[in-house]
Amino acid sequence: MRAMVGRRFWVLLLLPSLLFLVLFFYYPIALILLDGLSWGSLSSVLANPYYRHVILFTIEQAIGSTVLTLLLGLPGAYLFAKYDFPGKRFLKALLTVPFVMPSIMVALGFILLFGRSGFITSLLGRDLGVLYSWKAILLAHAFYNFPVVVRMVSSLWARINPHYEEAAESLGARGFTLFRRVTLPMLYPAIFASSMLTFIFSFLSFAIPLILGGYRYGTIEVAIFTSIMTLLDFRTGAALAVLQMGLSFTFMYLYLKSLDAYSKAEEQRVLQRPRKLTLSDFRGLRGAGIVLYSLIVFLFILAPLLAVFYDSLTSSGHFTLKWYRHLFESSYNPIFGSDSLHAVIWTFVFGFSTVLLATLIALTMSYSSRRWDLPGKIIFDVLATLPLGSSAIIIGLGYIKAFHRPPLLLLGSPFLIIAAHTTIAYPFALRAVSAALKKVRPSLREAAMSLGASDLLAFLKVELPLAFGGIVVGAVFSFAMSVAELGATYMIYQPKYTTVTIAIYRYLGSRQFGPASAMAVVLMLVSMAGFLVIERTGEEVW
Amino acid sequence: MRLRLEGIRLRREGFELNIPELEVGEGEFMTLLGPSGCGKTTTLRIIAGFERAEGRVFFDGEDVTKRPPYERNIGIVFQDYALFPHMTVFDNVAFGLRLRKLSKAEIEREVREVLSLVGLEGLENRYPEQLSGGQQQRVALARALIIRPRLLLLDEPLSNLDAKIRERLRGEVKRVQRELGVTTVYVTHDQEEAMAISDRIAVMKDGRIIQVGRPLELYYRPKDEFVARFLGTGNILLLEAKNGRACLGSLCFDTEGEGKVRVFFRPESVFIMQGEEADVVDYELLPGRMRLFLEVEGQRIVAERFIPELPFSPERVPKKVGVRVGDYLILSP
Repeated sequence: MRAMVGRRFWVLLLLPSLLFLVLFFYYPIALILLDGLSWGSLSSVLANPYYRHVILFTIEQAIGSTVLTLLLGLPGAYLFAKYDFPGKRFLKALLTVPFVMPSIMVALGFILLFGRSGFITSLLGRDLGVLYSWKAILLAHAFYNFPVVVRMVSSLWARINPHYEEAAESLGARGFTLFRRVTLPMLYPAIFASSMLTFIFSFLSFAIPLILGGYRYGTIEVAIFTSIMTLLDFRTGAALAVLQMGLSFTFMYLYLKSLDAYSKAEEQRVLQRPRKLTLSDFRGLRGAGIVLYSLIVFLFILAPLLAVFYDSLTSSGHFTLKWYRHLFESSYNPIFGSDSLHAVIWTFVFGFSTVLLATLIALTMSYSSRRWDLPGKIIFDVLATLPLGSSAIIIGLGYIKAFHRPPLLLLGSPFLIIAAHTTIAYPFALRAVSAALKKVRPSLREAAMSLGASDLLAFLKVELPLAFGGIVVGAVFSFAMSVAELGATYMIYQPKYTTVTIAIYRYLGSRQFGPASAMAVVLMLVSMAGFLVIERTGEEVW
Repeated sequence: MRLRLEGIRLRREGFELNIPELEVGEGEFMTLLGPSGCGKTTTLRIIAGFERAEGRVFFDGEDVTKRPPYERNIGIVFQDYALFPHMTVFDNVAFGLRLRKLSKAEIEREVREVLSLVGLEGLENRYPEQLSGGQQQRVALARALIIRPRLLLLDEPLSNLDAKIRERLRGEVKRVQRELGVTTVYVTHDQEEAMAISDRIAVMKDGRIIQVGRPLELYYRPKDEFVARFLGTGNILLLEAKNGRACLGSLCFDTEGEGKVRVFFRPESVFIMQGEEADVVDYELLPGRMRLFLEVEGQRIVAERFIPELPFSPERVPKKVGVRVGDYLILSP
């Protein structure tokens, strides 16, 4: 009997997490399906040329973003896999930055760079027409995703057994033929998986097309948001949400499949030793390539951040600290219906609560999944992963439907905001934790158990400490996602719970860039702290 | 402690483990020997409680089948050692005692004692990654022994080490086991290791135990061709027996049955003399010994002798020699 309790203890631990998931994800989603999954509402959306255009554009821009991301990422993957060069570590660290940067801040950076009086516009003397068009959307999506391509492809590239290429060379293959016939096919799993990830990110993107796309270029996500928040048309919103979920679950399934293929390919232990490049190597074409690429990465990643930082310190061309002074004022700001200080405080409250909840859920779920010895494990894994394929706006819509009347009258409560952030963030924490746990050899747990540790004790004393890096990374991701969350929060909040991200969005709406930049710098600092924590763990996140 | 397995059955895709009975005596060193995939590690994991199977496991007559591993009080050394990478040598070894809530002073004393037993004094504060393979192996052994296990389980503990260190460590494993008198089950695919270290060996193949016995018993009295071949080089001659004798040229063997028989003998049972009975097809020089590949009436025979025992100089090996077979066995069909 004791043994039974010991072995099935995970069931007890799992129940609260499952309850959370059912209440704050599956119940709201079910309500959307109930509303949107009807022939009438679906066909009326599909018959509307505007929504047909939106759906088409969403897919087009996702494909475009993926292509641009690959173009930017693949050369980097090559350099990282093949060479060791001065500054590689720094460059690698830099590539982690986009992971933790809120999209509202990046959007603001793009406005400051490409706007009518933006830095790049004034530098070139003419407006490139990037802003409020598909170009800005593609660029911003590439900003977020090309590090993923660099990471996944270079990691696989470095693991290709050199003997394959050497064998092909001995048989007469060389140059581009060698690459196309031998190397490239072995990279497909990484290229496909990272492309799928980019595609899904771009497909579900919200803040970037909302702010940078202008009126003509919106994604489905933006269309759902507008139909509900502006037109109050819940029927159309739900129908669009059903369409989007159908598509994104399909894409997510393909992504997870491709990820499996990728991890299998990545399991190879052979590691090519990258060639060390010394300073003298830098005179050749290769060196020039590395310098150029580093420069592009450097500018691409840092330019939006620097633009925001610079703007926060200037007012009509002069140095000023007044935007920062505004930050610490507790006077009511009509633009977002709260005060800056409280916005900062709430941001942290939501952030830390999300970290706590998401980490707890991720831990109990990964523990249960590791110990699962009952039928139905696949169903559980699917149920735990599905939220990854939903989106912030769908969650927002579901919450409005589910929690607007008693007995579940939670709309406008800060707890509902925490629930929304946790639902959005925990799949990422779960992935970080279970990836780290997967690296812990099963024999370690068995050794602990042979020495007298119960199952839970073996988990707490051996597996958990070894997976600590992954837990920290998951926590940082959860925090970053909570802090950056715009769509869902905006749909369910009350002005007194304004967060920094929402405040920036409201500032942008009234075209007040100075205070928006100062607030964005706060976000940037918080994100930077998260970035430094990740760097300290030494965990490979990128 | 006496270990007893009864009616163990485990079915997996393309594999079936079936051990009707196996007993390991008090303080005995029992080795499960077999090629990879024969089920020896699975058997060990069933004994440890990591794997569930039909049948029952007894420790000293007490049924422990339903007990989880952490209540069986076993020491186990894994092939990859499974040292906790986030703990020092001291913490690794002390792990089991801390779970048993011993006092700090006691733990300190016991750890020191067991580390000196395995010859690892002074490395308490190192981390596993700072140790050589051989040292890691000793830590793993110390960690398993410190809880005074009723049963010590060793899963190919030496297979990740260099040949030289392997030989030295297997002697030490045996010494420690004898000193403590702990009942031990050892898994390996290396027949030489098994012979050198075991009190008894169970030879396994395709999920079954083919034969159990003392090393020399298995070596000279194998039950079948598989055991004969697995435990080293062997000569097996397929001959026709008539009137209780089977002959190959002038080499004759006494048999019990009639008709086709298989005669088995080891290379060192073949004596070389001057004569003309066998053609010398080829030979190899080994340290202090010579291995001769002979042919008698179209059948191959391998012989191995110490060089001083040869009736010729190793520099001048004749084309033909005389042979006589000492100890032989008629294999059951």
